[in-house]
Amino acid sequence: MPEITYREAIHDAMVEEMRRDENVFLIGEDIGTYGGAFGVSAGMLAEFGPDRIRETPISELAIVGAAAGAAMVGMKPIAELMFMDFVLLALEPLMNQAAKARYMFGGKATVPMVVRLPGGSGTGAAAQHSQSLESILMHIPGIKVVAPSTAYDAKGLLLSAIRDPNPVCFVEHKLLYKVKGEVPEGEYTIPLGVADIKHVGSDITVVTSGIMVQKSLAVAKKLSQEGISVEVLDLRTLRPMDTQAIINSVKKTGRLLVVHEAVQTGGWAGEVMAVVSSSEAFDYLDAPMRRLTGKDVPIPYNRFLEAAAVPQEDDIEAEIRAIVSNKY
Amino acid sequence: MTTWKKEEFDNFETTDVLVKSKELGLSQEQLVDMYRTMVKIRLFEEMADKQYALGKVHGTMHLSAGQEAVAVGTGFAITKGDYLLNHHRGHGHFIASGADVNKMMAEFLGKETGYCRGRGGSMHIADVTANNLGANGIVGGGLQLAAGVGLAIQMKKTEQIVLTIFGDGAANEGIFHESLNMAAIWDLPILYLCENNQYGMSANVARVSAKTPFKDRAAAYGIPGYYIDGNDVLAVYEFIRNAAENARSGKGPVFVEAQTYRYFGHSKSDRNLYRTKEEIDYWKSVEDPIIRFEKLLLTANLINDQSISKIKEEMSEVIDESVTFAENSPEPDVKDVMEWVYA
Amino acid sequence: MPTPFIMPKMDMDQEVVTIISWLKNEGDRIEKGESVIEVETDKIVSEIEAPESGILANILYHENDEAPVTKVVAYILKEGESLDSIPIGEKTVETTISKPEEASKDTVTAKSTLHATPLAEKVSKDLGVQLEQVSPSGSKVTRKDVEAFAERMKEQVTPRVSVPATPAARSLAEERGIDLGVLSGSGPRGRIQAADVPMQAPTTIFRAGVTTSVPLVGKRKRIAERLTASYQSTPHIYITVEVDMTSSESARKQINMLAEKEGQLAISVTAFLVKMVTWALGRHPYLNASLQDDKILLSEDANIGIATAIDDGLIVPVIHSANKLSLREINTQLRYLTNQARTGALTAEQVTGGTFTISNLGMFGIGSFTAIINPPQSAILAVGGLVRKPVVVDENDTIAVRPMMNLTLGADHRVVDGAVAASFLADLVTVLETPELVLY
Repeated sequence: MPEITYREAIHDAMVEEMRRDENVFLIGEDIGTYGGAFGVSAGMLAEFGPDRIRETPISELAIVGAAAGAAMVGMKPIAELMFMDFVLLALEPLMNQAAKARYMFGGKATVPMVVRLPGGSGTGAAAQHSQSLESILMHIPGIKVVAPSTAYDAKGLLLSAIRDPNPVCFVEHKLLYKVKGEVPEGEYTIPLGVADIKHVGSDITVVTSGIMVQKSLAVAKKLSQEGISVEVLDLRTLRPMDTQAIINSVKKTGRLLVVHEAVQTGGWAGEVMAVVSSSEAFDYLDAPMRRLTGKDVPIPYNRFLEAAAVPQEDDIEAEIRAIVSNKY
Repeated sequence: MTTWKKEEFDNFETTDVLVKSKELGLSQEQLVDMYRTMVKIRLFEEMADKQYALGKVHGTMHLSAGQEAVAVGTGFAITKGDYLLNHHRGHGHFIASGADVNKMMAEFLGKETGYCRGRGGSMHIADVTANNLGANGIVGGGLQLAAGVGLAIQMKKTEQIVLTIFGDGAANEGIFHESLNMAAIWDLPILYLCENNQYGMSANVARVSAKTPFKDRAAAYGIPGYYIDGNDVLAVYEFIRNAAENARSGKGPVFVEAQTYRYFGHSKSDRNLYRTKEEIDYWKSVEDPIIRFEKLLLTANLINDQSISKIKEEMSEVIDESVTFAENSPEPDVKDVMEWVYA
Repeated sequence: MPTPFIMPKMDMDQEVVTIISWLKNEGDRIEKGESVIEVETDKIVSEIEAPESGILANILYHENDEAPVTKVVAYILKEGESLDSIPIGEKTVETTISKPEEASKDTVTAKSTLHATPLAEKVSKDLGVQLEQVSPSGSKVTRKDVEAFAERMKEQVTPRVSVPATPAARSLAEERGIDLGVLSGSGPRGRIQAADVPMQAPTTIFRAGVTTSVPLVGKRKRIAERLTASYQSTPHIYITVEVDMTSSESARKQINMLAEKEGQLAISVTAFLVKMVTWALGRHPYLNASLQDDKILLSEDANIGIATAIDDGLIVPVIHSANKLSLREINTQLRYLTNQARTGALTAEQVTGGTFTISNLGMFGIGSFTAIINPPQSAILAVGGLVRKPVVVDENDTIAVRPMMNLTLGADHRVVDGAVAASFLADLVTVLETPELVLY
């Protein structure tokens, strides 16, 4: 099977869908000749022209607002925001307009749009260009939030997101862009709202997403040689969350660790833990549920401080060991 | 006290309806119809106020009594099929564009038969299938959607325009600038109508807006702009119709600022402390759009005291019926509270 | 019909307005649009205009009243109309509007004039008690009041369940019919983990979850028969000694400090004694023997019976293989067996097989006593209470107050000679006075 990068997978998904459906168009800053800040839309201007690869002024508010308006009248816009941090400038159209139009109008409107958001830390971009804000986005009913961790998932999920009749936030971790993975040729989609067990295990369930999936898998492989069997559950979609998959896994292993890069307080690990403790999985817990998350701090500039601000493989390993040896 | 300087307007004041209507190609019937619609809006707003005072409306309302000429002039000037985006004081515009007052009243009372099945209320009334993309609870909310609708029209190459109506307050929101800039660079078919009723919530326009009239701000983006007497219904009709044609032609967006005045407070919590009773009375008597048009129609013998009473009676009945319809309509089923969050 | 004058609702969430004044009186002529009432909402003062012209009549809400919005506050009569056409119920209204805010204000002020003694204030700070929450037993809040309050608070913090266990452990225990109380937990704070729950209830010592008790019919009769037989057939020799329990008590205290920190049960004096006795028995096997016909059976295990007083008599549950148990295990079992004894739930297994018995009447303030051996055992230790006494503690005849305890060993003289008994007792005293020796 061919191997392509996460970036290429996203590019391919957009190109293939734009060929198939003329209502799909990309709107954002520097997506034309420049090829997008992270090079995802390279070459697309030449194929689709300036109307459908619609470069904008620096106007995040209007980009997302226009995407909402166009979606309401039958187009399928994909808005690319340069950094996830800039979605903060566009929260109003996303959360007040796009998320609520269908409900407020008694079910008589649809807003099929995608907002693509490169996020996450590790590139030295510091506090205002490194955030993981999915916990805020998933709080609003009417929005869906997707966060793929592999090239394979990225392509299949983006296709589903574009075809989904609801506003979808598509979170791309910057450090994943260059990661290669096997991606079949030909069309395939991955449904939103379905998690994926990337490593089967029996001693502990690690619920995670994005780049933490990669780190957790590395730890799982290492610990399996010591007889500690780690199950890595990649949520893939944060809203709607595949709660049944989580419950089933915890019933099997009796132990839960949630790992995410987003900041701890108000972070979605709390949501997962609440889901588990309110479910029948509670009766099967043999250890307190734990979470390992970004620290409550803006992302620092210094590379060591930056690494210390979010979970690393060593941290994940130490936490798993502590849980399975009944340290808590 | 706020008055306006008529010499600053781009329009000539309508003094003779027969001459003006010939100029604009309007029949006498249409003139009387315009008058009838303005009366309908005024009576509807007064009834909405009454329903509120009786405690039957949950929440609040933003009434547009005093702004009927802008609504009717605009509603008659645009083409059916054009997209409409409104602000939260939009009952008048909605009625002038042909909305069913029964469904409007039902929506205010939160009933299942309302335009939004009771889920939206006064601030979010919409009729998406008729290309009315709704009133918006966020000041300036429609300005961003308009950019997207204009973009879609351009990409689909239909002959429509999008009319986005907003107030003097919205002209100071960031989105005003992002939207106008975007519309200008892409020549989007957008008609920006700024309904300047001289107050945001309590802030007088002059106090909070650097550089008025707002058409000058449009000029900063290279967008042609006009500043007109919004209480002269035929002037409104003329300028909106021309602006719509220009926007439709692909030459790019057009900006019209219509000066008007509102009688009721901003919302139902407004005690009108920021303006005097004198001021309100002046506008209600001297500059009232319905009274002005009525005078002109009387002079032209297109109506008389009898027909005026008849029209008022008829419209009153229509409004009363809307209340009856709304009251007899069912509440939504509580079990359905989670419906329509996702498609 | 007279026109109802309705108080309009002017605001979201508004339910009432307060009437400041009526600008017109009953009987006055008012015109439509004229200001008639001055009202106050929680935001602002407003004037209410008359909805119609006519004569103002039947004012229902007056100055300082709270009038509900959307309701009738008066009527307006046109020419020829009268109030008679209005039903009585609509012409009057109850004006008793309770003002709950004032009531609560009173109670707040009452609380803040509470007095407490200076000592009570200090103690409340030390114990972390909110002084305002303590009710005085007399005219002022005293130290006793604060301490009693703190006690009650502590009780309320006591957890519902006595045994911490994970949900998985609880499920497993329930499935397998095992009483969590008999298990010891390997998790932090003594928490029972799933791995601590055995496949079956441990059968060696006690069966968990037993809810039926074996009826010991004619118990009293049996006791009588046994003791008589023992008394008559067994030549008892009695040896008494006084033990300085200072070191033992100190050791026990240390142990219990650690136990508390780890959330474990505190070790009782009796459990402590059992441990020491098994040590001593290990050095003197003839004290752990029984005479069966012509044979002296020396038992490998020390199965220590603890004479326990219950409602209808005496019962002696046995801690089997106490020599193989840790102090903690002995303590857990002892507590368990005592509870079982008190609830009449002991099984036959739990009261048989003893090789040595300890009887403690110290709790009754008994100084010393002699006990009758439980056949077929060959010894019994009667324990008195701890009494603080002045004793000579060194060669210089220094006198110190020490906690002293009397031990009286009763032994079967057929099996145990005086010297053997004495040397056992001496060892017991030695290890009680020098507890470190138990490590040897």
